[in-house]
Amino acid sequence: MTGTAVLSLKDVKKSYGNFELGPVDLEIEAGYVVAVVGPNGGGKSTLMGMLMNLIQPDSGELKLFGGTYPDDEVAIKRRVGYLPERPVGHDEMSAESLGEFFSRFYPKWDHRLYEDLLKRARIEPAKRFGELSTGVQRCLAFALALATGSELLLLDEPTAGVDPFGRREILEDISRFMECGDKTVVFATHVMEEVRRIADYVLFLADGEFLGLFEKDTLLEEWRIFWVDREPEGDVPGVVDVEVGSPARIVCDSLQETGQALFAQDVRIVRSGVLDLEEVLSHLMRQKQGREQSVSGRRSRV
Amino acid sequence: MSSERAQPKQPRIPLHLSMDDPEPMYRQIESQLRDFILSGQLEPGTRLPSMRALAKDLLCSVITTRRAYEDLEGEGFIRTRQGMGTVVAEIPEETMAAYRREAVDGAMGEAVRAGRRAGLTEEELRDILEETLQREVANVHQGGTP
Repeated sequence: MTGTAVLSLKDVKKSYGNFELGPVDLEIEAGYVVAVVGPNGGGKSTLMGMLMNLIQPDSGELKLFGGTYPDDEVAIKRRVGYLPERPVGHDEMSAESLGEFFSRFYPKWDHRLYEDLLKRARIEPAKRFGELSTGVQRCLAFALALATGSELLLLDEPTAGVDPFGRREILEDISRFMECGDKTVVFATHVMEEVRRIADYVLFLADGEFLGLFEKDTLLEEWRIFWVDREPEGDVPGVVDVEVGSPARIVCDSLQETGQALFAQDVRIVRSGVLDLEEVLSHLMRQKQGREQSVSGRRSRV
Repeated sequence: MSSERAQPKQPRIPLHLSMDDPEPMYRQIESQLRDFILSGQLEPGTRLPSMRALAKDLLCSVITTRRAYEDLEGEGFIRTRQGMGTVVAEIPEETMAAYRREAVDGAMGEAVRAGRRAGLTEEELRDILEETLQREVANVHQGGTP
C-alpha cells in the first residue's frame, strides 16, 4: 500500500467529566469503508466530531489528507462530506435551499446526483427539513453529504430511523461511491448487518477505549468456536475464552494456530462454529477489561 | 436499483463463500473463478465485476477480492486494464490441458486412497479401473451421460 493516509490519529485523547476517549492511534488509506462500532456512549460521535473539528482533542495529533485543524480547515472540509448525528440549523430550510447552500461551499457539488437522490427518497424539493420524518431527514442529510462530491464521507449513523428500503438504497449508494477505488467512507453504526455488508475494516470503541482497527474478513476467518472433547492443558495460543463442560467450548482468535495446538495435544474438535461481529466485540471488550491498565492503546495501520 | 446511473449489467457469476470451508475467502474466490475459466464457462474477454461490486455481492471486503484478483492476474487467468476493468484472459491451450490433467490426477489419487482405506490390493484396484473404463466407454457409445 502506498500514498499518504486520508486519516491519521496519533495518541488522540479527549475527556469530558468522567468520560475519556482514547488514546486513539490509527491510519486509514483511501479506498476503504471503515465501520465505527460499539455500544452507546462509547465515543463514536466524539470521534466523528473530532474528525470535523467540531470537538477539539485534548492532546495528540489528528490529520486529514495530511493537513491539520485549524490551519487547513477550509481545504480539508471541501473534501469531506459529513452527515452529523443531529444536523443543526436545517429545520427551516427546504431540501432545495439546503442543496443550494451546500453547493456554494463544495466546488465539486453534484447537482444531478442530489436531485436523483431526492427523487429516489421521494423528497419534495420545496419541503422543509423539519417537516420530514426522522428517517426521511436521514436520507436528505445523506444526500447532502454524498452530493458534495467529496473524497471522504464521514457518516454518523446514516441509517438510524430509516426504513429497510431506504437503508438498502443508502448502502447501495455507498458502494457505488466506492466503485472507483480512491474514495473513503467512515461510518458509525449500531447495525452489524451493515458492517457485514459494506465494511472493509471495523473500528471498535467501547467506553471510550479504542479496541483496535481490524480487517473485517480476518475477524470472520480467524475467530472460531471449538467444542472439544476435553480441555487443553497449559497456555494454548490464540485462546480467548474457555467454558468448562463436556464438550468444553473454546473461543479463539487465530484459527490455524489454535487448531494446530489442540491437534498437538490430541484434543479432539467435536464441532466448530463461526462468531458474528457482535460476539467478537464482546470478547474484545472483556479482554480489554481483563488486561492491565499499563497498556497504552494500540497502534494500527491500514 | 432504480438509479439511472446504474452500471451496465455484467454476468452474475455464481460464486459462493462458505465460512465452514477452512480455505480463506480469497482462496475460495480464486479457485471458483479458476474453475469457471478453465471449464470455458467464462470465456476470454468476459468482463468480471469490479472488486468493490464483487465484495458487495459476496459480503466480503474489498481487501479479499483484491487479493483474489491479484493472484489470478499473476497466474495469467485474468487481466486488468486501466479504465477497462477486469476481463478473463486468453489462456494457452497447454495451460488449459495441464490444469485439466491436474484435476483428473487429483480425482484418481482420491480414488486410489479410498481403495487403500477399504483394504483393496493393487490388483483389485486395477481391476476396478478396467471395469470402470469399460462401463463408461460403453455408456458413451450408447449416448448416455458419461
